[in-house]
Amino acid sequence: MNKRTCTALAAVLAAPLALGAAGCSGGKQAGGDGRNGKNPAVAGEGSVIGGTPQKGGTLTVLSNQDFTHLDPARNWVMSEMDFGTRLLYRTLVTYKSAPGTPGNQLVPDLATDLGTSSNGARTWTFHLKKGVQYEDGSPVTARDVKYNVERSFSPDLPGGADYAARYLSGVEGYRGPAQGKHLDSVRTPDDHTIVFELNKPFAEFPSATVMPTFAPVPQGQDKGPRYDNRPFSSGPYKIDSYDRGKKLVLVRNDKWDPKTDEVRKAHPDKLVVLMGLKANQIDDRMIASQGADASAVPWYALRPESAAKVLPRAEVRKRLLAESQNCTDMVQMHTGRAPFDNVKVRRAVQYALDRDAVLTASGGPAFNDPSTAYMPAALFGGRQPDTLKIPATGDVEKAKQLLKEAGKQDGFSTKITVSSGDKGRAEAIQQSLAKAGIKVTIETVDPSAFYATIGDTKNRTDMVYTGWCPDYPSGSTFLPFVFDGRFIKEKGNSGNHSLFRDTATMKRMDEIAAMTDAKQAGRAWQRLDGDILAKAPAVPVLIRRWPLVLGTNIAGAYGHTSFGGQIDYATVGLKDPAKSQG
Amino acid sequence: MILYIGRRLLGVIGVLIAIAAVTFTIFYVLPSDPAAAACGKSCSTERLTAIRAHMGLDQPLWRQFADFVTGIFTGRTVGSGQYALHCDFPCLGYSYENSQAVWDLLMDRLPVSASLALGAAVLWLLLGLTAGVTAALHKDTLTDRALMVGAVAAASLPVYFTSMMLIYGLIRVAGLLPYPQYVPFGHDPLDWASNLLLPWLALAVLYAAMYARQSRNSMIETMAEPYIRTARAKGLPRRTVVVKHGLRAGMTPILTLFGMDLGGLLAGAVITESIFGLPGIGRLFYGALSTGDQPVILGVTLLAAAFIVVANLAVDLLYAVVDPRVRY
Repeated sequence: MNKRTCTALAAVLAAPLALGAAGCSGGKQAGGDGRNGKNPAVAGEGSVIGGTPQKGGTLTVLSNQDFTHLDPARNWVMSEMDFGTRLLYRTLVTYKSAPGTPGNQLVPDLATDLGTSSNGARTWTFHLKKGVQYEDGSPVTARDVKYNVERSFSPDLPGGADYAARYLSGVEGYRGPAQGKHLDSVRTPDDHTIVFELNKPFAEFPSATVMPTFAPVPQGQDKGPRYDNRPFSSGPYKIDSYDRGKKLVLVRNDKWDPKTDEVRKAHPDKLVVLMGLKANQIDDRMIASQGADASAVPWYALRPESAAKVLPRAEVRKRLLAESQNCTDMVQMHTGRAPFDNVKVRRAVQYALDRDAVLTASGGPAFNDPSTAYMPAALFGGRQPDTLKIPATGDVEKAKQLLKEAGKQDGFSTKITVSSGDKGRAEAIQQSLAKAGIKVTIETVDPSAFYATIGDTKNRTDMVYTGWCPDYPSGSTFLPFVFDGRFIKEKGNSGNHSLFRDTATMKRMDEIAAMTDAKQAGRAWQRLDGDILAKAPAVPVLIRRWPLVLGTNIAGAYGHTSFGGQIDYATVGLKDPAKSQG
Repeated sequence: MILYIGRRLLGVIGVLIAIAAVTFTIFYVLPSDPAAAACGKSCSTERLTAIRAHMGLDQPLWRQFADFVTGIFTGRTVGSGQYALHCDFPCLGYSYENSQAVWDLLMDRLPVSASLALGAAVLWLLLGLTAGVTAALHKDTLTDRALMVGAVAAASLPVYFTSMMLIYGLIRVAGLLPYPQYVPFGHDPLDWASNLLLPWLALAVLYAAMYARQSRNSMIETMAEPYIRTARAKGLPRRTVVVKHGLRAGMTPILTLFGMDLGGLLAGAVITESIFGLPGIGRLFYGALSTGDQPVILGVTLLAAAFIVVANLAVDLLYAVVDPRVRY
């Protein structure tokens, strides 16, 4: 969920909180300094908090914001995709509901299997389960899935994942179904079969069908931009009321048949999302867990400031989830112009940068891991390699030596652009680079203008601080987005903020993308990650966790690795439903 | 009189259009791109162009502004085909964030901000005027000093500090009240009041202090006027002298202050609403600012300006009622 996740989170959250929280991050633990065993926040990693829930009761979600989009054609924020696809709509394929790495596994959802490919992975066929119904009892058909895929092309409905746009054939100039035009590359020979024709071989297409783009929307229910306020349910819950920015109430959809669904457990009778609460009050309420708050979970991650109220207290700590967000924060350097067109200068920054200091500015080691590779740990099977072996606090001597070799022994001045939420991190970077003689000026940009500012490749600064999250656990959703030179745009540039254009790298990316053996491709991406790291277009800095303190009456909760560490809403419920209110 | 009001109302419309023009231009000049924000980071150039056209952002600035202004009076249609959204008079456009009509958003949030502002206003007028008048009548006594020292102290407490203290003391430690959650007045007036009590207090403390100081000065001045001496000499009861002759004339500057304060607060108390989690206009504005939701920012700005301008007009008209010497 690359960029969009980052954009949305940065825009919606970093600004109001005025602290941490722009960009994205995640990743189990980078080797480096052996902090693993001591981190009190990760004790609950990979395990379920609160045991098995009882059926019934009201689960409350305390949130500081409204959802960006619940319309499945537009929902492309990790935690919201979790919420939408686990509660309101089903997709062709989804992730297993399990803590830890098994959460990366794909399982069929609307489809009977993970799809079959033909024509060299250019044609993908899915068969739909029979007996799956919407909230009004009408059947879910293949046409409805096709219809929502078409909706995602509409300029009236922006914001969603772009896999359909990138991989379906014959979509040039297509503007959605509102004008009565339909896509020929998605065929529905009968009510329970859907066939996708792709413009190139794509062995990982089933992974893409996890996106809410591949959830059904019946044409008769489509209300264009207003569908966002009331998506029609094919999942275990339906919307009872949705007061934008204030409150969302979900009640059971009695037409949902658990026999067709191996993922969603649907324990609570009702879910209430209270929005627009102050972030610090949410933290305090969750820590205190009094009265109705015992049956509540927070929507957004604990603020770093609240860590001191959580970590020293065993009673609170055992209610803490801190799954990795699996996104990497990086300093990307403009490789297209001096001084960063010189690889030695870029490597000097890699060595000078004190990741430990940035980590401290970011809430400390309990809520972050230093990153030693570009791709997060989930894409390395659980652990990032450390090919450069740079100490977490940096190596100033080596950096100075590299600068000398580059003819910059007197250092130089440069600028870094950061989103206002990342100012503390930028200051840590500034201080550590100053030790090697690199004088950095920080330019802080409001989150709403951040991506537009750094996307202007001519006028932007030499360095930018950004994050990238893989859409699903594959290197193909990371490295090509961040390091493929062919994606560079003069304005509105995204991902490749190093403007890295390396022929060998691009050639290798094409070779790996064409591989049909997923395991082989996975290993190839991992090696390529190390190769790019040696060319130093960017410095991987850290991987954030997603800390959540749960109410004392919460059960069946774990952070889902494929949803950025957000609680898996498919399984969460209450220990004692009688204790909940509402 | 009617001519005067008519002239002033025309002026109001002029001011609002000028404010809209300035706000519009500011957004046009700023580097943010609402289309790119809506599209997400990995947005193809073609799609971005389509979205920009859909949002009307491909039009020149004057054209966008003209559409906006005519939309207010005649309504307009955004988007096309099956997805077209039609918004009626007074159309302030649609939120980029959630596609809701800005006017509806404002009207939805207004009761919250109005409840907060009016409740707090009643409290601060009661507290402030009582303290001010008492102090003035007991000028240079211990009561006067105690009240004014209290007022200086209260006025120097920032509203976020007062709010935090109230939340900490009354909610977290004493557990007397729940975390405020807005309940509509029509729903349950008692619940409405008990949930708003803390925000009212937080705001009222600040304003009451200012009003106490202001009304004390004003009262002292008025009470020294010759006509007060005359009234006293006539042997009128003290109560009549103070209330009917002193207070009424001394009210004029307070009224000016009150008009501006209430007008400003009706369009949202950003800090108080944020701290207490009240979904009012102030919080709507804050949220819109952080996401660059231009139509909402513009809508709130206009509403706030309208309140202040109208409040000013109302105050000017009320002068005539309060002070018999003023005529239009």
